Amino acid sequence: MAAEDALQFQLHVPFPCARDAQIAHNSLSPDAEPRKGGVSKTLSVTDNVLHVHWRADEARILRVSVSSFLEHLSLVVQTMDRFGPALPDPS
Amino acid sequence: MTIVLGFEGSANKIGVGIVQDGKVLSNPRRTYITPPGQGFLPGDTARHHRSCILDVLKEALEEANIQPKEIDCVAYTKGPGMGAPLLSVAIVARTVAQLWKKPLLGVNHCIGHIEMGRLITGALNPTVLYVSGGNTQVIAYSERRYRIFGETIDIAVGNCLDRFARVLKISNDPSPGYNIEQMAKKGKKFVELPYTVKGMDVSFSGILSYIEDVTHKMLSSGDCTPEDLCFSLQETLFAMLVEITERAMAHCGSQEVLIVGGVGCNIRLQEMMATMCKERSAKLFATDETFCIDNGAMIAQAGWEMFRSGQATALQDSWITQRYRTDEVEVTWRD
Repeated sequence: MAAEDALQFQLHVPFPCARDAQIAHNSLSPDAEPRKGGVSKTLSVTDNVLHVHWRADEARILRVSVSSFLEHLSLVVQTMDRFGPALPDPS
Repeated sequence: MTIVLGFEGSANKIGVGIVQDGKVLSNPRRTYITPPGQGFLPGDTARHHRSCILDVLKEALEEANIQPKEIDCVAYTKGPGMGAPLLSVAIVARTVAQLWKKPLLGVNHCIGHIEMGRLITGALNPTVLYVSGGNTQVIAYSERRYRIFGETIDIAVGNCLDRFARVLKISNDPSPGYNIEQMAKKGKKFVELPYTVKGMDVSFSGILSYIEDVTHKMLSSGDCTPEDLCFSLQETLFAMLVEITERAMAHCGSQEVLIVGGVGCNIRLQEMMATMCKERSAKLFATDETFCIDNGAMIAQAGWEMFRSGQATALQDSWITQRYRTDEVEVTWRD
């Protein structure tokens, strides 16, 4: 399927501060989508906002990827709530 | 003084442990238990881990009486294991490592078992039998690798036991293997099953198919009891494991055996291995369910060794992997 025919999905997640957005980005980006899964996602951060952009061949696959991402995002936010805020840099 | 926090969640146990220079400060764990007749599925297991991992982490810190700032490194299971549970646990490990500004360390699950077994038992250079629901390997250390001398060519020994427990609808609480072990003690009649050692390797899937096939026939005709089948299955599987362990020992000239992994806390397996060791004047090392069964401290302990030898995992390299062989890891902390 040509790139312009792909389904696309955009998500913008605002965090209380840029540092938190960067932590979420680093926690959620290391694991690639399955290579032959017909879906890809890119994560980026501008200021305090985490941006996620999906491209997928089929809506079914897109739904699975987005829904699993949201579960993981929620886990990151819960972890920050209970074990944050970030400690100051070690001196 | 080095303090390492370890996260483990590659199968149906979620554990967080804290280790300080060979001392386990805390090691809480929760198990996802499914109804009789059912196994645990990746998505459900991951959901279970996500629902309690933060409570288990809090418990680990409180029990150890440790503040996050005192921790030197955050270790987590990189693999092998089920993808969804591994990923959920890795995400929490990455997040706290960043919040607390600590280095992260991805640990091979099998190496975690071996290092924990060595720490608890004091075995110096043992031939290792690693037996669990997902893995069956005979391992010996040589030239900076834990080398796999023999392994299963299909399913793990624990998987064979778990799936037989499902046939009989045996409870999964606390674990199917534990309940099979208790029933096997009451078995009186030995039912002959296929015995499949292939050189240094073993195969369990044929045994499982065979016993699945004959169970209902034999039980309904009154040829044997469920207890007899549990007994016969254990004797057959464990005899195979003892055989390949003995062969590996003979090959390496080793006088020590260490049993690790969830199936390793089975007393009957330990007895059979002890008999073989006695005949060879070798020494057997084993641990109880606290450390045999998956736990966070084992990941912390392997992480401790790796961290002390200068290793760390960059965030962008902290992806999890369902397949991760024991011999892929360079052992930088042993001579």
